[in-house]
Amino acid sequence: MSIDALPVVAAPMIDIRGLSKRFGSHEVLRQVSLTIPKGQTLAVIGPSGSGKTTMLRCINLLEEFDEGEIVFDGSPIGYRRGPDGRRRRLPEREIATTRSSIGIVFQSFNLFPHMTVLRNIIAAPVRVKGMDRTAAETLARDLLARVGLSDKANEYPLRLSGGQQQRVAIARALAMQPKAMLFDEVTSALDPELVGEVLAVIKQLAEDGMTMVLVTHEMQFARDVADTIVFMADGTIVEQGPPKTLFANPTSDRLRAFLKRYHDAYLL
Amino acid sequence: MIPQALIRNFPYLLRGAEITLLLSAASVALSTIVGMIVALLHVFGVAPIRIAVEIYLYLVRGVPLLILLFAMYYVLPYTGIDLDPLTGGILVIGVYYGAFMSQVFRAAILSLPQSQWDAARSLGMRRLLMLQIVVFPQAFRIAAPPFVNTCMMLIKSTSLVSIIGLWELTMAGREAVERSLAPFQIFAGVALIYFCMCYSLAWYGRYLEKRMQYVH
Repeated sequence: MSIDALPVVAAPMIDIRGLSKRFGSHEVLRQVSLTIPKGQTLAVIGPSGSGKTTMLRCINLLEEFDEGEIVFDGSPIGYRRGPDGRRRRLPEREIATTRSSIGIVFQSFNLFPHMTVLRNIIAAPVRVKGMDRTAAETLARDLLARVGLSDKANEYPLRLSGGQQQRVAIARALAMQPKAMLFDEVTSALDPELVGEVLAVIKQLAEDGMTMVLVTHEMQFARDVADTIVFMADGTIVEQGPPKTLFANPTSDRLRAFLKRYHDAYLL
Repeated sequence: MIPQALIRNFPYLLRGAEITLLLSAASVALSTIVGMIVALLHVFGVAPIRIAVEIYLYLVRGVPLLILLFAMYYVLPYTGIDLDPLTGGILVIGVYYGAFMSQVFRAAILSLPQSQWDAARSLGMRRLLMLQIVVFPQAFRIAAPPFVNTCMMLIKSTSLVSIIGLWELTMAGREAVERSLAPFQIFAGVALIYFCMCYSLAWYGRYLEKRMQYVH
């Protein structure tokens, strides 16, 4: 076989191997393995309690995990095995540095209510990355323009609608110039008429080649924007594949049942 | 009817009030510092430190302030430490109210939703920075009303120090009563001065609370 015939595999941005996590006796994640190549968008769907959000939060160690490993752009997340084979937690400084290169957007926005929109965005670039304040402000205004909120720089978050707050949260995460973005059900807390404006921003990011993981209930959106869909249930990945095949020909009963419930609930 | 005795003694009472104010201000400052340190140790300390903090809190909250003042005044000299009533009063009140202040601050820190910590951590902030720019500014707003409340209780508690011989507002009042034999007028005056101190603090607290609303 010639070299040319080998499939081109992009280097993975996020590589999850054998990830397991328990809350007491309840196993939230069971041996989850998943690879997200650079520049790709992956959407994770599944019923509530399937472990989607927990998995996402493990990627930047907002959630500790019990077993397995996550490698982000070549460096391990959270733990490393010592020479004696025992797993040790990395020093906080290292964890913080890795976190600063992974953006996450939360379901409930989590903006800092005591800071203006502009300060929300520049706080971490200036104080964590040591970026020059003027440069950070220029970047922030740039990002605000990208998410369509140029006129809101000096507002306080609580004065904004949910959709606007969520777009600020996206700008805040992007201001750290992350290598990847994680989205945790970012439209679930929004009124239906505000969902579109947030999804449009995410779609643009996908087109710009950002590596992204979306945990979402927006099936239509997942189908449009994702390169790969992952279906999770009971803490495991049941099925994954490109959206067209996965939605058209689900192979597992669980996914068929899940999609049917979804269609019944939303489309009829 | 003109309260002659009160009018005549009012300047004397005001001089006492000056000491009360000094004692109160210094004790508020000390108890705030103690409270802040204790709160941080209580929330973030390792287990042995947390246990030490709990012991301090139970001791202080379970013993009357007056008993602690007596201990300072009558017992401490045997150990070779002899404090004048003002310094001793500031120390005892500061440490005593530090316990209550610590609970005000601790509750404020813990009342911040987990999601704020998540957001700060996800941006790569480390603990000190997180505390400085995310946690404290919000916790202070939450703590402001109970903080003012604790300060008012502290101010009124300073009258106890008169019992161990500090000349302040309450002591000045008692002396004025002995001189004028007009207890009703004089004690009404003393009460009025305490009330004005506490009321202006409460008023200022409410002003701060309004000014610190998030939506401007």
